[in-house]
Amino acid sequence: MADLEGVNGQREEFRVVGKPNLPGRLSYALAAGIAKFGIDYAVPGMLHAKFLRSPYANAKIISINTDKARSIPGVADIVTWEDEDIKKLVSEGESFAPKEPWLDNIADHEGVEVGVIVVAENEDICEKALKELDIEWEILPHIVDIQTGRKPDFPVIRPEERMASSMFGPPVPKTGNVHFSTLEQGDVESGFKEADYIIEYDLNMPAFASHMPNPSGSVAWWFDDPYHGGGKSLHLEGVAWRTDLAKDAVGRMYKMPPEKVIHRGIFQGGKYCDWGLRKSQEITPLLARRTGRPVRCMNTRKDTFDFLINQRFIHMKVGFKDNGLITAIDDYSIADGGARGSSSFGTSGDQHYGPYFTTKCLNIKQKMEVVDSNRGKMYVSGQHCPFNWDSITMAIYLIAEKLGKDPINIARLNLHGPVSQEDPEPVPSFEACIETGKEMMSWDWHSAGSKKLPDGRMHGASFRYQMSPRHSGATYNTKLELRNGIVHMPTQGPCTGIFAVEANAMVVAEELGLEYEDVIVDFDYREPFFPVGGGSDGTTASAWVMKECAHILKKNILKAAIDEAENPPARSMFEFGPPEDPSPFKGLKPEDLDMEKGKIFIKADPDKSVPVPKAVKKNIFATYSGRPPLSIWSQGMGKMLDTMNTAYCEVAVDTETGEVEILRFGVVADTGKVIRRTSLESQIDQVMYFSQGCQLLEDFVYDQRTGVKLNTNMFDYKKPTIKDVPHVERDFLESRAGNAVYGASGISHSLANTHAVIIAIHNAIGVWVDPPATPDKVLKALGKA
Amino acid sequence: MHNNEKINGSGKRTSFTHATAQAQAAGSIEAIPATVKDFRCPVCSKDFSGYPELKQHYTEDHPDAVIPVTVSLNINGKDCEVLIEPHWTLQRTLQFRLGLTGSKLMCDRGVCGSCTVIMDGRSVLSCSILAVECEGKNIQTIEGIAANPKWKPLVDAYCKWDAMQCGYCTPGFLVSAKSILDKNPHPTDEEIKEALAGNICICGTYPRHSTAIMEAASIMAKEGE
Ligand code: FES
Ligand code: FES
Repeated sequence: MADLEGVNGQREEFRVVGKPNLPGRLSYALAAGIAKFGIDYAVPGMLHAKFLRSPYANAKIISINTDKARSIPGVADIVTWEDEDIKKLVSEGESFAPKEPWLDNIADHEGVEVGVIVVAENEDICEKALKELDIEWEILPHIVDIQTGRKPDFPVIRPEERMASSMFGPPVPKTGNVHFSTLEQGDVESGFKEADYIIEYDLNMPAFASHMPNPSGSVAWWFDDPYHGGGKSLHLEGVAWRTDLAKDAVGRMYKMPPEKVIHRGIFQGGKYCDWGLRKSQEITPLLARRTGRPVRCMNTRKDTFDFLINQRFIHMKVGFKDNGLITAIDDYSIADGGARGSSSFGTSGDQHYGPYFTTKCLNIKQKMEVVDSNRGKMYVSGQHCPFNWDSITMAIYLIAEKLGKDPINIARLNLHGPVSQEDPEPVPSFEACIETGKEMMSWDWHSAGSKKLPDGRMHGASFRYQMSPRHSGATYNTKLELRNGIVHMPTQGPCTGIFAVEANAMVVAEELGLEYEDVIVDFDYREPFFPVGGGSDGTTASAWVMKECAHILKKNILKAAIDEAENPPARSMFEFGPPEDPSPFKGLKPEDLDMEKGKIFIKADPDKSVPVPKAVKKNIFATYSGRPPLSIWSQGMGKMLDTMNTAYCEVAVDTETGEVEILRFGVVADTGKVIRRTSLESQIDQVMYFSQGCQLLEDFVYDQRTGVKLNTNMFDYKKPTIKDVPHVERDFLESRAGNAVYGASGISHSLANTHAVIIAIHNAIGVWVDPPATPDKVLKALGKA
Repeated sequence: MHNNEKINGSGKRTSFTHATAQAQAAGSIEAIPATVKDFRCPVCSKDFSGYPELKQHYTEDHPDAVIPVTVSLNINGKDCEVLIEPHWTLQRTLQFRLGLTGSKLMCDRGVCGSCTVIMDGRSVLSCSILAVECEGKNIQTIEGIAANPKWKPLVDAYCKWDAMQCGYCTPGFLVSAKSILDKNPHPTDEEIKEALAGNICICGTYPRHSTAIMEAASIMAKEGE
């Protein structure tokens, strides 16, 4: 549904919104190197803290002697899981993890914080002291290969009952190391009976690291605060995100009300949808309190290799008619449940977002084994959610191959209509995307292994579709001020890399007839407005609310212009010069006026205008709290459709060397309405490079014997460089069909894919290569190695 | 307990234009201490009145520890002296002794280019070079580039083209970009990619850099006419 409930949701003329190349409000600070991220904070007299990190994949500290470590010069404090101070801590941040204990003596993956924190004059001394801890470990069996770990006779690695998360329903009992999650609709058996063909295939989704660019951590200190009830207040840096879920959450751990917790930093770095607080961000207030000095605790690069997606094996069985119409889907997945506290977004949560629900097929069974493992933790969410989308991409490709038909036509046949799974109508957004996409890519489908390029390499192509999601259901509290004739938009930020603040400022400018530069953004951590909640999704949702607020401000300004025309404010004794001309608005009503280019004018006689600062001398405020109508996406989870997007990939495979080159990616995305074009383009590039990385380059490598992760550094875990990335062709459609601001939707997550490149490789050489498709694996698949 | 409230100031508004960023960058260079004022023992945090006293303290109290050294550097045209432990990298020194946080630590081992600085005209990775090796060298950091009005077109182009998302890698890219333009005022797309191959961006800004650098190059060429 389009933005019909809000004010001006179907605005036709845009002066500011959609414009490219408007610099970000904090871009100069970032470019000049003066933007401070958490890791950058250093305060005089501070101590440094480090956690003991487990050298074992699964182990328990039986006993510990800290005497030798404590005697090292420069060690200020050592805290263990047995200290009362630690036992009292309960994490308050956004997490699906079990809340207690905050730190214990059991390590459930290599590198996890366990048992002990050392505080010292510098990090080198911390390291030295950690080495001097005398620890007796009990080493327990571990799982880093989930296919082995799921076997019924494998020792149970985590004895207590535990689901990956309870976010999507009550915890399910587990058997051995496996939890089962099943979601079923229709009658799968009869669906298969109806089918003319049944295909079965296996997908392997590799694990993928987020390793956000800026290692996380914090600095904290306590200070005398006479202004907020006396006593000490807490200053914390390094947890920039939504204040309620970050700095206030840490404050709550120490019984501090929000007003007594200061956090000035606004630069979050590249965390995107990874909302989880790290222990290094939660512990510093305690250590600062204990030592009476500021304390800094930073993760290293190695510590920052968390999971963005967990590994998953999907066995799919698909029944379809001879025209390609799917009659039954049976998805049996074995997913890495990860370490304790991993997000269910990576496992059972996906079942609810199922790509299968976008098809007309009513017989769908999804069964998932979520296997406890010691591979590491996936924090709240990642850019690849929902992870399993490409199982439908794969099914469509295989049906197409089987029937010798273009996968776009198979997708078109199977996609249900806008209203329900039984709606036979086409989805206009999808139709528009494929029409543009085919032209953009000069789409000319060929069957697997049938096209050789002039240079002798094999050519392959793939196609996928997704919904353009808008999942933010958050309420946003907006405020705008006209201060001394200038419009201010106060916000807590943060600066997250998605330019959400800027998109909001553009909407304000649009609604108030101003230029983007005329809207002053006041960044202040105490302000309630945060334009986040997903990426472009939260941006467009928050901007809807901001649009409503701008409209209220405008009404208030026009009313004030009339009030001041009728009752001009008294001249102050410091104002000199001749008296001002009487306002031309005298005798009019607010509805007779409008605003444009920083002036208020009479609609019936636009030449009669007064600059805003002159027409309105008093300060005007507007507030609006609310949220846009719930999106089709969140209500239907695929069973209703509005804005869609399509992606294309073309590869060339050298069958002699096994090398794969992505010739280009193509993206045609119906964003509903483009708000901030330049960053939207960049977000699309980003998500396609993520996808390239996980299909061609990136993989976690474990030593199976010890359970130790071998490549938690940027040499051995390879991210694409500027020389690796392909060209991304993009086109944005504006159906205005989303119900966030001006009919916009979110976009970026939905283009993340795990198999578009893999399918294109199959289309090139006719054999499957598991991601990451490195040359050696390609050659092996071709029987050449 | 310390009262550190004044450390980060109490300004409510944070608003960045080229002028404010340039001024702040210049301010951070201005604030670099020219000489060592704090002779603090890195092991036990005791303060001493001078280097001889600190050395003496090491001999008496930390006989097994390596004695800190003083190093003379020239950072963004400013001569300064720092007291560091000999194993400190230049990046660590810039951040913890000189208050310059523009050289970012991402990979911590010479892979990502986020910590790039220019030393005697050559790009080097400040995470992988010891500060003691930089004695007497001329070092340019991102702050020096941002503070120099000559490079305004480059900074402007980076901001105009969103050659940043989270912005953490951005200073490193910008230093590399400046280094390219120093050597080649009219680089091609291919040459830029070659020169930026050692800078990693996790947020996918890659195509933006060539656009920004080439635009800056043509503006700078016009300004130079
Ligand atoms: S931090 Fe120096 S190269 Fe990555
Ligand atoms: S902009 Fe985030 S790492 Fe480059």
